[in-house]
Parts: sequence; C-alpha cells; structure tokens
Amino acid sequence: MIPWRAIRAIISRDLTRMLRQRGRLLSSMIRPMIWLLIIGTGFGTVLEQFGRGSYQQFMVPGILCMVLLFGSVLASLSLVYDKESGVMRMLVIAPFPHYWIILTRILGAAVVGLCHALLLIVILAAIGYLGIPHSIPLLIIGLITTALLSAALGALIAVYSRTLENFAVVMNLFIFPTFFLSGALYPVDHLPPLLQWITRGNPFSYGVDLLKHAINPGLPPALAPDFSIGLDLTLLILWTLVALTVSCLRFSRPVALERLAARLATRR
Amino acid sequence: MPPATTTPQPVLTAHGISKRYGSRVAVETLDLELAEGELYGLLGPNGAGKTTSIHMLSTLVRPDRGTIRVAGYDVLSQPVQVRAQIGLVFQDSALDRTLSAWENLLFCGQLYNMESAHIKQNIRSCLQLFKLWERRHEPVANLSGGMRRALDIARGVLHRPRVLFLDEPTTGLDVLNRRAIWNFLEQLRQTGLTLLLSTHYLEEARNCNRVAFMREGRIIGSGEPGALIHALGDHVLEIDTPTPAEHARRLGSTLGTPIRLDNRLLFAVRSDQADLGALQRNLREEVHSLQLRRPDLNDVYTWINCP
Repeated sequence: MIPWRAIRAIISRDLTRMLRQRGRLLSSMIRPMIWLLIIGTGFGTVLEQFGRGSYQQFMVPGILCMVLLFGSVLASLSLVYDKESGVMRMLVIAPFPHYWIILTRILGAAVVGLCHALLLIVILAAIGYLGIPHSIPLLIIGLITTALLSAALGALIAVYSRTLENFAVVMNLFIFPTFFLSGALYPVDHLPPLLQWITRGNPFSYGVDLLKHAINPGLPPALAPDFSIGLDLTLLILWTLVALTVSCLRFSRPVALERLAARLATRR
Repeated sequence: MPPATTTPQPVLTAHGISKRYGSRVAVETLDLELAEGELYGLLGPNGAGKTTSIHMLSTLVRPDRGTIRVAGYDVLSQPVQVRAQIGLVFQDSALDRTLSAWENLLFCGQLYNMESAHIKQNIRSCLQLFKLWERRHEPVANLSGGMRRALDIARGVLHRPRVLFLDEPTTGLDVLNRRAIWNFLEQLRQTGLTLLLSTHYLEEARNCNRVAFMREGRIIGSGEPGALIHALGDHVLEIDTPTPAEHARRLGSTLGTPIRLDNRLLFAVRSDQADLGALQRNLREEVHSLQLRRPDLNDVYTWINCP
C-alpha cells in the first residue's frame, strides 16, 4: 500500500522549508549565473570559431543540470541531519515500511531540485539565454529524470554517512567532480581518454546530454549531444533505480535501524 | 455452574524478549503483560535496558529472541500494523522546531493517513487538553521546555493509539512542569489509553498501576507500588553514623538486617517492632543524624537492589 497522504505531507514540508528559506533559494541561482555569465563569456570568446554565443548556448543544459544536482543532492543529504532531528523520530514510528522514508525523501528532494531548475529557466528566459526549447516534453522528462537521479545519489551518500560534519568533503569529493566530469562544461568527445572514460561512467552525464537533446540539438557538431536519447534515458533510469534500491535496502536493515533508534533515543 | 469471570484481554504481551549488542546484554528474557487502560512503569537507572525494551516493543529494534504482540499484531511480522496502534514519545523532542504546534500535529496526522477533518478535530481536542490551543500558531522553538514536552505527548496520542510508550517523559523538566506532565498522563489514562513509561525518577512512579524495576537488562522486582512499599515496612529508619558496622550489629537484633550505604544504615521497620522514641534518645549522642520516614519506591528499589 502506498502511503499517499504521508508522501504529500513530506513533500509539502520540504517545499514549505524551501519557501521559508528564500535567501538560500535565491543564492542557489547565483552559482549557475556566475558560470554562465562570467566563465561562459570568458571561454566563449576563446571558442568563437563555433559562432558567437554558441558556447553559452552549449552551457545552458549543463547549468540547468547543475541546479538540479546541487538542489536535489543537498536536499537528499538533509537525511543525515534528519537522523538527529525530531522529524526522523516521527517518521520511524509512523505506520509505513521504513523504506518509504527514503523514497519520500528522494521524491521531496527531486521536487526541490525541480523548483530550483524552474526558477532558473524563468531567469534564463528573461535575460534571453533560453528560447523555446527544441522539445518541451523531452525537457520535462530530462529535468524530472535528472532530478530523481540526483536525489537518489544524494540519498545513497546519506545512508552511507554516519555524520556529515564536513559538508565541504561531500561538495569537493562528490558534487564538484560529478558536475565537472559530466559534459556540462565541455563536450565529452574532446576529453582525454581517461576523463572520457570517467565521464561515460558518470550517470549525471546522461542527464546533461538529454537536456542538450531537448534544448539545442542543432549546435555545431563539436558542441552537439554526445549520446543517443535512448541511451541517456536507459542509463538515467537504471542508475536511479540502483541508487534508490541500494539506499532503501541499506536504510531498512535491522542493524541500521537499531543504530538510528539509538541515536534518536539519546538526549542532546 | 459459577459465572465465568471476564479477565480483560492484555493489549500487550512480551515473552522472553532478549537483546544483545555484541557481548553486552541490553535486555535479558523480559516478560511483560499490560492490561487495557493500565499505567505501567519501567524503572531503573540509566543503562538498565528500559529504552531498548521500549524500542523492541515499538518495532524499532528487533529482539534476538522472544515474541511480542501489541493490540493483536505480532511486532516482528506485522510492524506496520503495530505502529498504527501505538504512539511513542522519545526522550528528546520529535517535533520540527521551525514549524508551529498546529503544523507539527497536522504533519503527524498525515503520516498516520488520517482524514483532514479528523486530524483537525483531534488537534483541537489534544491542544485543549494540553492547554496549548491558544499558542497553536507559534513556532515550536518559541514554546517553553514543558510546553514542548506536552506537545510531544499530544503528537504521540493524536492518532488515538491503543498503547502509548513514553521514554523518560519528565527528564530535564523542573518540578512544576513534571507535575503538569503527570497531570496530563493521568487524564490520558482516564480515556482508557494504556501507558507504558520508563523513568529513573522513582518517586513519580507511585501513580502507576504496576511497576517493574530493571537492572542490567533484567526485571529484578515488580508489583503494585502501594503493595511493594507496604511490604517493605511502615517506616524507614535512616541513621548516619561514624561506626556503621557496630550500630548494624547492635540494632540488628531488634530491627533486622539493615542496608548499608557508606556511613548510612537503612532499617525497614514496623511500627510495633521497636520503641522508636527510646531508640532516638539512646542514639542521639552517638550518630550524626537519625531520621524516621515513610518508605517510598526509592526504598523499595534500594532493598531489591541490595538484598
């Protein structure tokens, strides 16, 4: 049985928290704008042989994926903090199987990431960096699958972390490498073999590629999408399923719940 | 044929439940049976196994051995159904401090798949019972420690569970707030709810129907508080003396074997057992202090603990 009311409650709590932290929401728009307007302009002048503004056009799918990655992974990672918070106490004692805690957290985090992406789409459209996309359905599918993948990867990190005392560790060891080695900033085909190999193994690359197909597949061949839509979708869904299955299994193990119960029992 | 006596069906039964963490025994062959509407106290010092017991009874920790049934469901094979029938108030708050009292309870009701109108009706009656209705829209962070605890208990009973577990519900509160919380628990008991609580404030547990003393994961004594206290004696004579061994020997023949705690001797005595007035006059010069008082659950625990 699917606990619909609980799912709705958890997602709307995530959204309420996001809206109450408007400063954080707005500041999460600054990072992609810096990449697009400053770094994109800088590299764009070097790469003008592909046409004026082409590199920035190339970057748009990448920075949309960037806000999904940061928004959803960080929202999922709050699971680690939730382990010590009151809300986790409400969740572990609620009448649904414990894997739903992970599934609803992934859904909530994906919705938060999608809200960030929608806000960025509005900003990009307003300043003229995003016109009518080549395929709106593909854009929607790409955003949703990439948000779910990011949220599931975030949950995977969260269930393997006992504490996240140093947030910078996750940022530097996971989020930044995932972003830099995804084809978001440079086409995969032009990378040295080792980096190309790593990028092909990075599930996030297929989200970026899917959005390239959706937004501007008609860029010069050097900046065009690297993989097929079918491969992108298959790998995104496969990786998401693997990440959420492993997270759910790991979280639901009796020994994991015992540890969690012991942490929730102690007064801080 | 004599009329059949109806014994109320127990709402919770646990048989031989045990839990080890590595080589450490947390709980060893615990047996419990709670009748509907009962207030049952698990007493003992920190580390005695009270919290682990509550966690096993409430599906959070899997026992290594034993069986538990709550409200007709098996804890091991039907944990979701069991969780629908119970409430659990942790030692620490289970509230979102950024949300208001109202929002917290609304969120909680939705987790229990309750209809919106039903949730609102229950929130109203819970907050009125716990005297928080006027402050329902304030963020939880603005409420006092006692109010937050009361709200936490309201959260635990919002979905009208059949059994409510409370892990040290009054720890960290001042006397006035502790009294208020006990007042609320008493009112909850009036509604027919079964309550199982753990506490190390033994004197508070006199309101329980039955109590069990735990030490190192085992129940070392149990019964009705009044009966346990009565069985101990009419008075406890507490003597603080520089020569405890000598006084234990001298007084032992008339007052029985005392409990010795450093320089203090505790005798459980019956009113007719000795002339306490004379004793007081005789010992006045020899001891630091001499006190005669009514026994309480702390004394029961002391006697069970150091036989």
